[in-house]
Amino acid sequence: MIAARQFGTVIGLAALCVVLWILTPYFLTVSNLLNIAEQTSINAIVAVGMTFVILSGGIDLSVGSIVALSGVVLGTALQGGQPIPIALLLSLVVGLACGLGNGALISWGGLPPFIVTLGTMSIARGAALLYTEGRPVSGFDASFRVLATGRAGFIPAPVIAMVLVYLVAHFALTRTTFGRYVYAIGGNEEATRLSGVAIRFHKTMIYGVSGLMSAAAAAILTARLNSAQPIAGMMYELDAIAATVIGGTSLMGGEGSLGGTLVGALIMGVLRNGLNLLGVSSFLQQIVIGGVIVIAVLLDTVLKRKNRT
Amino acid sequence: MKKTFAFVLVVAAASLSCNREAPGSTSNAKPTVALVLKTLNHPFFVDMRRGAQEAADRLGVTLQVQAAEREIDVEKQMQIVENMIQTGIQALCITPSGSREIVSALVKAKDAKVPIIVVDTRVDAKAAADAGVRTETFVGSDNYEGGKLAGDYLVKVSGGKGRVGILEGIPGHETGDSRLRGFRDAVKASPGITIVASQPANWERDQGFNVFQNMLQAHADIDSVFACSDLMALGAIEAIAAAGKTGKIRIIGFDALDDAKKAIAAGTMEASVAQFPSEMGRVAVESAVKVIRGGTVPAEVKVKLELVTKDNAK
Repeated sequence: MIAARQFGTVIGLAALCVVLWILTPYFLTVSNLLNIAEQTSINAIVAVGMTFVILSGGIDLSVGSIVALSGVVLGTALQGGQPIPIALLLSLVVGLACGLGNGALISWGGLPPFIVTLGTMSIARGAALLYTEGRPVSGFDASFRVLATGRAGFIPAPVIAMVLVYLVAHFALTRTTFGRYVYAIGGNEEATRLSGVAIRFHKTMIYGVSGLMSAAAAAILTARLNSAQPIAGMMYELDAIAATVIGGTSLMGGEGSLGGTLVGALIMGVLRNGLNLLGVSSFLQQIVIGGVIVIAVLLDTVLKRKNRT
Repeated sequence: MKKTFAFVLVVAAASLSCNREAPGSTSNAKPTVALVLKTLNHPFFVDMRRGAQEAADRLGVTLQVQAAEREIDVEKQMQIVENMIQTGIQALCITPSGSREIVSALVKAKDAKVPIIVVDTRVDAKAAADAGVRTETFVGSDNYEGGKLAGDYLVKVSGGKGRVGILEGIPGHETGDSRLRGFRDAVKASPGITIVASQPANWERDQGFNVFQNMLQAHADIDSVFACSDLMALGAIEAIAAAGKTGKIRIIGFDALDDAKKAIAAGTMEASVAQFPSEMGRVAVESAVKVIRGGTVPAEVKVKLELVTKDNAK
């Protein structure tokens, strides 16, 4: 059933592409498709973490703020003269720590994920602003900017990073016990606990993954803009949730896949790009994107209901 | 699902097809000028678009206007620039959401040989030079001069005495920073004027309300406010009304929005620095067309500023 639904998402993406191909000659060109992949990469990577969290039956509203915080940590470290690997490591650790903090409060503190991550959303944003006194940190060495400007052949570096992240995360989700527990916790947390799985530990790790992914996205964003902004990443949580849900992951947890999320992120990227190419008014764009999200979830629900009867 | 997506797209495209230039035949078709704004949910940019559209209609060029959903979203602006370059635009007019951050997007325009006209907010000169980006011209008001205009006026009407609260824009924005510097420099010469608080309200009306309410809590003796934008000033007016101090605190804003002019006429606001965004839009498109047709434009076009007080608020 999951496979069938994913197939539906892929058809949706393909149909979208065909329609755009008919409507505008600028859509189906190599450079435009590469643009789309590059533009999608940041949201797609954040959405990996979001998929883990939603699969486990949770939600993470703090991803955008973690992007900002780990971004400014990275930027400040680079400008302070730290070598690139150290700066990157530092920022990944900050992202991971934020995520683990979320997870610990949720599993050991017994607090609802919505509340905890809402709090972290504000805390991490405030920390990012405080750390930089509200000012962007700009101007980095070309050797760091390779993360965004680099090309392997003609494929942009952010796209390669996105593919690598998806391969590794997909492996973790489908081929490891950790991955199976993610689904199990989201499917039936109580039953999973009773069968002896260390729920608290695994839930903490799940939010850790989300924080880590936000930090990874922050590195690409910082390289892309040649600037780390404390106000970066606002509303990223909603884009990531949208990509995950369009990709067929159930908000109830336990059902979904990373392949679906990638397609979901691409649908949003293609849609935004296509609406730009067509010169659709920015107000109408918001309506169309919102409409697609609602329709995707509606289809999901209808399909599920059909399956039950 | 297929049908659904097709439907959504067709609706979106159909509603637009009326003003969409048929692409492809670039030689005979009207040249396309892109205007990328910070946002369209601010009257300032809506006015700018109006001025740009009028100029485009008059000069016979197609104008494509796009904006990010939120004013601070540089990444979205960058995506828009990348996408518009794909459509073969002949010139790019842009109001950068970030003076330094936008340079990465401008590099892409440069690589595509699209001439760049910067509007309203300057691009950081050093960052642009480092990236090898050349902009054709800057069209905008001098925000520093505007801030100074406001400061000089405050000195005049207060007789050189006052306790001032400042509402700043988003920290790190060239526009707000310049207005602030201009204002501070103007009041510096008057020892009787003290700036008791200066806090960002991020250009927003509701934040202007909250931040000023808090400021009043901490400094009940504030008698003057300088808000770096009218939206924040309008929020502060409500906070003053809520505190029952209407008429006791002078507010000077920036932008001369219609609501602000009404407030000035009604006496709840002292003054506002008027910019002429529609003029900026007009000059930007005219400059773009000049560049497209091989002409030259000055490195900078200053658009006038004017102080609106109850004498000229209409």
